[in-house]
Amino acid sequence: MNIIKTLQKKFGKEILEAREPVKRKIYITIPKKAIKKFAEYIFNELKGRFIINVGTDTRSISNDYAITYIFSLDKEKTFVSLEAHVANDDLNVDSITPIIPGANWAEREVYDMVGIHPKGHPDSRRLVLADDWPGGVYPLRKDFPYDKKPKSAPEWKVPLKKTPEKSTIISLGPFFPVLEEPAYFRLFIEGEQVVGCDYRGFYNHRGIEKLGDSKLTYNQIPFIAERICGICGFIHSTCYCEAVEEAAEIEVPLRAKYIRTIMLELERLHSHPLWLGIAGHIIGFETVLMQTWRMREPIMWLCEAITGNRKTYGLNLVGGVRRDIPKDLHPKIMDVLTTLEKEWKTLLRAIQGDTTLMMRLKNVGRLSNEDAKKICVTGPTARGSGVDIDSRLDHPYAAYSEIGFKKVVSYPEGDTLARTLVRLEETLISIDIVKRALQEMPEGPIMAEITEEIPPGKEAVRVVEAPRGEAIHYVITGPDNRPFRWKVRAPTYANLQAIPVMIQGLPLADVPITIGSIDPCFSCTERMIVVDKRTGKEKVITHNELLEYSIKRKLK
Amino acid sequence: MLLSKLREALICLKAGRVTLPYPFKPAPAVAPGFRGKLIIDIEKCIGCAGCANVCPPRAIKVTDVNKEKRIIEFFLERCTYCARCEEVCPEKAIEMSNEFETSTNNTQDMHIKIELDMNTCQRCGRCFVPTNPLDKMMETGFREDND
Repeated sequence: MNIIKTLQKKFGKEILEAREPVKRKIYITIPKKAIKKFAEYIFNELKGRFIINVGTDTRSISNDYAITYIFSLDKEKTFVSLEAHVANDDLNVDSITPIIPGANWAEREVYDMVGIHPKGHPDSRRLVLADDWPGGVYPLRKDFPYDKKPKSAPEWKVPLKKTPEKSTIISLGPFFPVLEEPAYFRLFIEGEQVVGCDYRGFYNHRGIEKLGDSKLTYNQIPFIAERICGICGFIHSTCYCEAVEEAAEIEVPLRAKYIRTIMLELERLHSHPLWLGIAGHIIGFETVLMQTWRMREPIMWLCEAITGNRKTYGLNLVGGVRRDIPKDLHPKIMDVLTTLEKEWKTLLRAIQGDTTLMMRLKNVGRLSNEDAKKICVTGPTARGSGVDIDSRLDHPYAAYSEIGFKKVVSYPEGDTLARTLVRLEETLISIDIVKRALQEMPEGPIMAEITEEIPPGKEAVRVVEAPRGEAIHYVITGPDNRPFRWKVRAPTYANLQAIPVMIQGLPLADVPITIGSIDPCFSCTERMIVVDKRTGKEKVITHNELLEYSIKRKLK
Repeated sequence: MLLSKLREALICLKAGRVTLPYPFKPAPAVAPGFRGKLIIDIEKCIGCAGCANVCPPRAIKVTDVNKEKRIIEFFLERCTYCARCEEVCPEKAIEMSNEFETSTNNTQDMHIKIELDMNTCQRCGRCFVPTNPLDKMMETGFREDND
């Protein structure tokens, strides 16, 4: 199917410009007032999945703002980007959230950061900025200096959602007690049941995107990108580098691609055991926590031997990787993987018959296939709801197309157990991919020769399958050896929006494991420094209370 | 149910104790190629400031006091151990050591300050390290210019 032709047939002259600079990446420019129509057609008819909304301050180029909506057509393996220009004097666009619930946060973020207002948005409260950030100050505009600290303006405090009648509020957070990360869930409870929730987060916003387009250079950004997430950092640096490479048309040597693939899969291999351990910890099953983390440790040592560091590998640069995997390390890698595979299978067999565990996971936190598609969740969360998407297959990157990655693990049930099983099976597939990649890895250089400067004004979007879902990096190249705009979307950003649906009607004690089941990573989701001023007299549950509560439920 | 509990117990028993008695006993050796606290060889440094240019966290500061003196400071509490400086250094003056136990009460412990005596090029006005460069070129070999 030729998507450009389909769209041209449907909309005719409303398409101002359509181009396909790289195969399967379609960039379309449309007038502002047609955004809603296009989004509706792509989402409902072409079954496109909304992934990201980017606002850019392009006043220095065309004296207006640009807003870009990117969709992924998974069956056609294509990205469609809709770009519209928004004039300076009328910074309103029609909100697409009523059609696509998954665009909720993205549109609010664009309003917070650039000031393009989504008209008709059902919940247009502030999302990303601090509670005392002054109104009318938009940090991602180009005239806002990266090191400016505006005066505190408490009168701009974000209003909380109205409590439904008869319900009690239970606060989980602002320091989310089970995962030890900052996120604030206000749960509305009737008796034991959750009837609604309000989320306030982004306490970790670190201004990384702003640094990227105002201070750092192309080759410094991979290292800060790696620090977006403490667990899947390599995914972000790979995604960024691939985006820049695509924009600048740099051909990366095949060996470098293989090394990236190996490291990406090793990262998945230590992330999934980590998650399984945490999930066990949440429901009071400490044996799993201890044993999975023990199994994970050799992988961390392996990463240290390959890259020189346990976690922040620092391996990626635009154009390739910095260190090779020497031949004498291959047997060691194989050994570690074989041991892990054996131990993982033993563990699986042991916990599969555990009825207490199944009781806590089965039919808990259900996310139906329909909702999953509407909210545009990604990764194991989507695959646990029967949505067969995996960007390793849909939008191949690194060396996945060479290795021949074919199988997507998916379960239709949509409960916590399904999401768990997806991750457990994926771990075994990952072991297989690393082994095959090691054997098939060709000889050759690991870094491309870059002789020319990266041309400004090129755009590219790249996606990498993180252990939690899709990480997306969108780059517009710019002058001064740095990107003009760099936008990051971490997987939890999409998955967290499905939490209100998942916990609706659940007993309170099942909330932690449900939130835990999407493998949330709050520092990933929130990328910029914000201080929170929380007021109100709500009951805050401490870690121990909640854990105790969660464990007691098992015994009932 | 019982079978699975037995299996779980067996896994734990088989694993035994894996926690290391660190810090009461020294930690096992790090892997070769580990990126620890950097060390700099002042003899080799020519003051080109390439490391300061590439450093992602801006942990390296270069100040020219006057045309004869250049000060290079390393603020290692900011260091992210990416080893980009080691990679770009043309003289291999920077090396990442195996040291990782760097916690301290005094941030001064993490500062390295080196002073270099520089000279000024008569033609371009930029500074370069005196005495060494020509001798060094004789040692390492050079290519004659065409013009």
